[in-house]
Parts: sequence; structure tokens; C-alpha cells
Amino acid sequence: MADSVDEAMIIAWVDGELDDATAARVAARAAAEPALRELAERHRAMKARFAAAFDPLARSAQTVSSPTSPAPAPIISLAAVRAERAAAAAPSGTARRGWWGVGGAIAASLIVGVVIGHNSRVPVGLGDRTDALALAAPIGGALDRQLSGEAGPIRVNLSFRAQDGRLCRRFTGQHVAGVACRGPSAWQLRYAVPVTHAVTDYRMAGDDDATAQVVDAMIAGEPLDRAAEEAARRGGWR
Amino acid sequence: MHEVERRLPDVLPRLRRFAHGLTRSPADADDLVQAAAERMLRARDQWQVGSNFEAWAYRILRNLWIDTTRATRRRDAPLAPEEQGLAVGMDGGAESRVELSYLMRALARLPDEQREAVALVMIEGLSYADAAGVLDIPMGTLTSRLVRGRQALLAMMEA
Repeated sequence: MADSVDEAMIIAWVDGELDDATAARVAARAAAEPALRELAERHRAMKARFAAAFDPLARSAQTVSSPTSPAPAPIISLAAVRAERAAAAAPSGTARRGWWGVGGAIAASLIVGVVIGHNSRVPVGLGDRTDALALAAPIGGALDRQLSGEAGPIRVNLSFRAQDGRLCRRFTGQHVAGVACRGPSAWQLRYAVPVTHAVTDYRMAGDDDATAQVVDAMIAGEPLDRAAEEAARRGGWR
Repeated sequence: MHEVERRLPDVLPRLRRFAHGLTRSPADADDLVQAAAERMLRARDQWQVGSNFEAWAYRILRNLWIDTTRATRRRDAPLAPEEQGLAVGMDGGAESRVELSYLMRALARLPDEQREAVALVMIEGLSYADAAGVLDIPMGTLTSRLVRGRQALLAMMEA
């Protein structure tokens, strides 16, 4: 019993919870027994796998609110987007709430973009016209022609079917990044964020959290794979 | 400004990660964090200045999860390792969301008491003692739930 090293002890060893003497004993046993070594390695690998996927969630708020990015624009209707999504899903007893109800500091630390819903007012700077959000070249052209991941001044990141049935694509240009959905006559901008040095760094860290949240609020199912994208392109993204 | 208000933004990212370890979807996770933040602000006079703020925050979020989300959980969602193949041809953003979704579904297949132990220790990095304190259980209970949860995950993910 005193000499046994079970899986609980291996896990505690991986977690750094053993005192020095016990840890040394387990390390020696693992060095001598491949089975123990392999078990420890499997637990270490699984822990690392979870860390890789979950840790970016804990980094998000720090990097989004950079002093060098433009002042956050007021949220127009992410709440409307989420409400659309909640209405499409099975109704629950509790009302769904967005991020934006708890204190300006919290909201400001999460938001750098502008969300454009179906019936919302257009942001200041755009004309208030029916085609105000229609995307011409070069973004519209890139969305029509490029598959996701292809290099170019404008890069398309992924394609997905939204809950309203439209095909939508996430893109990153030199100055503007965001999400657009194909309408009857043009790509319609649905979410836009300025591309600044700070935002680029943040994305290079592996996670543009605000845009990912927007995609997540809009998406029905999973993003399109390569074959589905090629078929959608052939069909004009209808 | 009250001390709780001052500290709240700094703990939110960790609460968000913890919520993703407990809930079935990113939307549920964000709703849970929102509710926890509101509860913390309303209950700010209940936090003792000088006591462990993070532990208080984790405990509030976990108790809210027990109250609201547990009732609607579904643990029969299939978990297929081959779904990871969807990542081929996608950019890093979509790939990481597929991976996060896969791992969240794996966690959702654990019994609640194992899942919260795994989330607090393996994902949040709390010590066994601190995790036992958040959950208000003896350390031996925490350890056994943690071990069973991680054994189950290992078997699930390597099947």
C-alpha cells in the first residue's frame, strides 16, 4: 500500500499537488514503469488540450479594451441578434440577457465593434438608404469569389448558414473586418469592426472574441466545409 | 466605488472560462456569467473585505448554475471524435470553436459533481484545497470526484 502509485496519485502529480517527497517517489516509479509514464502523459496531454481550448476565454476581456483602438461604438442590436436566436430555440423559463446590462465598464471592456441587425438604425457616417450596408468591391467581390483561407488583401475567414437561412461569411480586410450575409442583390454588412494594430495583435493571439461571439449568435449548425463552400460559390451564395 | 465593483471586471474572464466548463453552450455560459455578475453586485455587502474574492465569485457562479441550468441539461448528445475532421479547410477561428464545442460536450456528459470538480481544478487551476472550499466539500470528496471525472473524460476522448 505504501508503495502503490494509483491513477489518483498520478493525477495529483500532474496537478502539482504532491509534496516534494511523494512527487519524487512517483517520478522515480514513472521513470521505471512505462505504463505509469504513459498514463501520466495521457493526463498531461488531456489537461493541455483543455487549456488550449479554454484559456483564450479567460484572456479575452484584457486585450479587447486597448487604448489604441477607437472608442467603442454603441451597440445597436446584438441584443436583438441574441433575442432572434433565443426565439428560434426552444423557449425557456428564464429570459436571456445580453452582456450589456451590467455596468459600462464591463460592456466597454468587451465591445469594439458595431452590430447591425435587420431593423436597426445605421451607424453615423453611412447614409440612411436601403443600400447603405450593401458591399461593393473589393469586399463584395472577395466574398463572391474567394474560398475561406485564401490569401489576399481581403481574407475570408469562414462561411456559415445563419438562422434566418442566409449564407454569411466572416472576412478580414486591411481596414475593416466583420460579417456579411448574401441578400438578393448584394452582400449586406451585418457586423463591422475597424482593423487596428491592437485588434490585429489580439487576433494573432488566436481569438477575435467579439466577432466570434457575433458568429456564434448568428450561426445555424457548424461552418461550411470546403466542399460546401465550393458548392455555395457555384450557386452564387444563395 | 465599492470594492466588489472595482474587482469584478478582473475576475470576469475567469468566470467566463469557468462557465464554459459547466454549461452546454457558449450562449448559456455568457448568460450565466451575466447573472453571476448581477448577483455579485446585488450581494456585494455579503463579501468580506480581505477574504478570497475569486473563491466567492466562483462559488456564486457555481451556485447559480445549480439553480438555473442544471434542470435543463441533456447528457445524451453523441460525442464523435471524427467530428474534429471538420476543422480541415477552415481558418483557426472556426477550428478552435469546433474544438471548444467538442470539449464542452465531453464535459457535459459527466455527472454534475464530477464536472464542477474537473472545471475548477483541471481548467481553472484551483488547488484541491481551494476547489474543495468553493464547493464546500471535504478534500477527499473533491479528489475522488475529480479523479473519476478525468478518468471518464480520458476514456471518452480516446474511444
